[in-house]
Amino acid sequence: MPTLSFKRITSAWIITILVLFVLAISFGITMRFNQGRDIDISPVTFYSLMTVHGLTMIGIWAVAGMAAVNYLLARYVKVSTSLNVFAFVLTVVGVVILWVVGFIGKFHAGWTFLYPLPFRVAWEEWATLWFLIGLTVLGVGWLVWSVGMIMQILKKYTLGQSFAWQHFTKKHDVAVETPPFILITMVSIIGILISLITAVILLVLFYAEYFSNGTFTNDPLLMKNLTYFFGHTIANEALYLGLATLYELLPEVSGRPKFKTTWYVAVGWNCTMVFVLTAFFHHLYMDFVQPYGFQLVGQFASYFASIPSAAVTIVSVIVLIYGNKIKWSLTNILFFLGLVGWIIGGVGALIDATISNNIILHNTLWVPAHFHTYNVMGNVLFSLAFFVWAANQFAGTDSKNISKAQLVKLSILVIGGFGFVLMFYIAGAYSVPRRYALYPEEFTSAAILASAGAWFALAYLIAILLLLGNIVSKCLKVFSSSQPSPLSH
Amino acid sequence: MFKSIFFFTTLTSLTLSTPLFGQTLPTAGDIYNFSEESKVYTKMIDIPLNTMEGNFHLSDLYAQKPIIMALVFTRCTGICSPFLLQLHDHLRSLDNKRKFSVLVVSFDPKDSLSEMQSLAARFQLQNNKQWIFATTPQIDSLKTAIDFYPTWDSTTAQFDHEALLVGINENGYIGKKLLGMRDERALLSLIKEINNEFVFSYPLPAKNTIFSCFTYDPATGKKKPSLGLLILLLPAIITLSLLLWLGSRKPKLN
Ligand code: HEM
Repeated sequence: MPTLSFKRITSAWIITILVLFVLAISFGITMRFNQGRDIDISPVTFYSLMTVHGLTMIGIWAVAGMAAVNYLLARYVKVSTSLNVFAFVLTVVGVVILWVVGFIGKFHAGWTFLYPLPFRVAWEEWATLWFLIGLTVLGVGWLVWSVGMIMQILKKYTLGQSFAWQHFTKKHDVAVETPPFILITMVSIIGILISLITAVILLVLFYAEYFSNGTFTNDPLLMKNLTYFFGHTIANEALYLGLATLYELLPEVSGRPKFKTTWYVAVGWNCTMVFVLTAFFHHLYMDFVQPYGFQLVGQFASYFASIPSAAVTIVSVIVLIYGNKIKWSLTNILFFLGLVGWIIGGVGALIDATISNNIILHNTLWVPAHFHTYNVMGNVLFSLAFFVWAANQFAGTDSKNISKAQLVKLSILVIGGFGFVLMFYIAGAYSVPRRYALYPEEFTSAAILASAGAWFALAYLIAILLLLGNIVSKCLKVFSSSQPSPLSH
Repeated sequence: MFKSIFFFTTLTSLTLSTPLFGQTLPTAGDIYNFSEESKVYTKMIDIPLNTMEGNFHLSDLYAQKPIIMALVFTRCTGICSPFLLQLHDHLRSLDNKRKFSVLVVSFDPKDSLSEMQSLAARFQLQNNKQWIFATTPQIDSLKTAIDFYPTWDSTTAQFDHEALLVGINENGYIGKKLLGMRDERALLSLIKEINNEFVFSYPLPAKNTIFSCFTYDPATGKKKPSLGLLILLLPAIITLSLLLWLGSRKPKLN
């Protein structure tokens, strides 16, 4: 059961994430309006905004998942408040450094900071080093947090049980049940840990070249592999953390029995754990020096990492809903919509991960299209569902049936969110390149699509602001209360 | 336990942050001043050209076919002749089916069209339709457009200049520049570039690149896995070891 201090720190995470989210969306809208030629910002400002936007978004939704599972983990294992506070402090420090680097230092190498870009200094000279420091602070905070959570789980469950491997043995020990939440959390945090260790290696190599005064040079191919091993993996695992909260909370808020870990759930998520680690090779299809075998691994790992877990989740949710009387509240509708966004974005991703398609879609707006779909309309909604649920817990209010006003807000969110990504998809299908501050005139419809995308995104932002007020005010209550609320677990 | 993690982290962060100041990195100017790379992907200025076939603009030529532009002067006693001769030889031995014209332009204001014509005759190229010898009244604009700055040496009465080939595609953009006397392979990549074909490029590993993913043997043309690939495995190996170590302790559930 989470203590009051644990609720407070979770509340601090929620508020911080929402504030950063609103700001980062505004950066996104500014970029899209610029691409639409509705406003005029300098290329340097555009790329600084793009870098800060990408880093902030990836970072906040990864920690949103971590904070949510950490909170829910308290139902099963003993959790540490000080560890959580430590991660929070380092996250805030890291974000402040990166924003200063982006906006004052004008660092703009993109959120992937692909080698050797950070060393091609087209910004304040101090910015490169401080960028690396900012990332180090975040990396250390999250690494310690992940290891801590794994330790907490392994204090109660054996390694095999935490991965539900008892389902793969002949004498299946039914006395030991691994809750799906523990299984998915473990699978995702292991992935996050691997990606963070990769980031540490990457940073060490960057520092080594930086301080070597030309005596040590990195191999661009190795750096690109490491960058996407880290970047692709963390972005995907963040989504799986969102799914862990869905598995834990969706049945509960829908008034249905908890999900169980069956053999196929165990198979699906173990497949995800293994295959998601090699799916990143699909980012290197254009790197002809990479052997063809690696490219094939990238393609098939992309299928095997997502299809089993998606199939298992879809079946589980359909079984939960079909033919049953469900109490539809804001929380479970957000989870349900998030699932739809995840699936649509996932299909977009698989289309792009297929080598023969990637030749056409590589680095077009199809790429932001698919990852924005499973983030803007997927993972963000999973985390928002958790935020709404947690805010109710903190305020001691019950999650009510969805109201008309909430339905209106959700409709604006859905129209805005899907409209925004649809403009990316259409542009991607027309081969409009990604990461262009202004589109060449040859792409006749690119600017119009960008402008339309910006207006849809504005609608999405309005919906978020309308939903946010309620969540934040309930979260703030936990700082004034000294007693645990009657409804809290 | 978390205290010790905290201590370790703080120590690591402090250690990392001590030698962080006073470093200088190359600036964009330092890096992009290789003249072979300057002006690449910029649009060529549309200079007027005087040729034996009449007066044109550069755009009239590249609109028909991509262009390999060579810069020479007729009184040149240095690199110009071997340069043109080698270009001619390479093009012949490449026996290339790709389309392009070779435009030889004089950068000496004193050169006349008839002198350029004699130069063509010296290489027996006066009737070769692929080769065009030309002068231009806008030499200075041309030089700025391609970042080519020959200097006049009054003692030798010669221009001090590089051998430069400029590849211009059908849209008038500079696709590639080649400096110096280059081999057939380099020329082929220029021809491919201006014909909008994909040209593979990858920086050669330097001696101080220890962690390459692959080593390439030019003699056999084969790639071999190298140390860098092991680094890619490290995160999984470290995590696995950590898990096995943490998992080896007895949990409370059992
Ligand atoms: C409505 C909200 C959002 C808007 C308006 C928005 C807008 C944009 C725009 C215009 C770009 C540049 C696209 C290009 O031309 O390449 C971009 C890139 C990006 N966005 Fe978003 N975005 C939003 C939400 C999100 C979310 C929720 C995430 C992640 C969780 C995210 C992650 C990224 C990343 C990683 C990039 C790539 C940055 C880079 O290339 O370095 N965005 N976004």
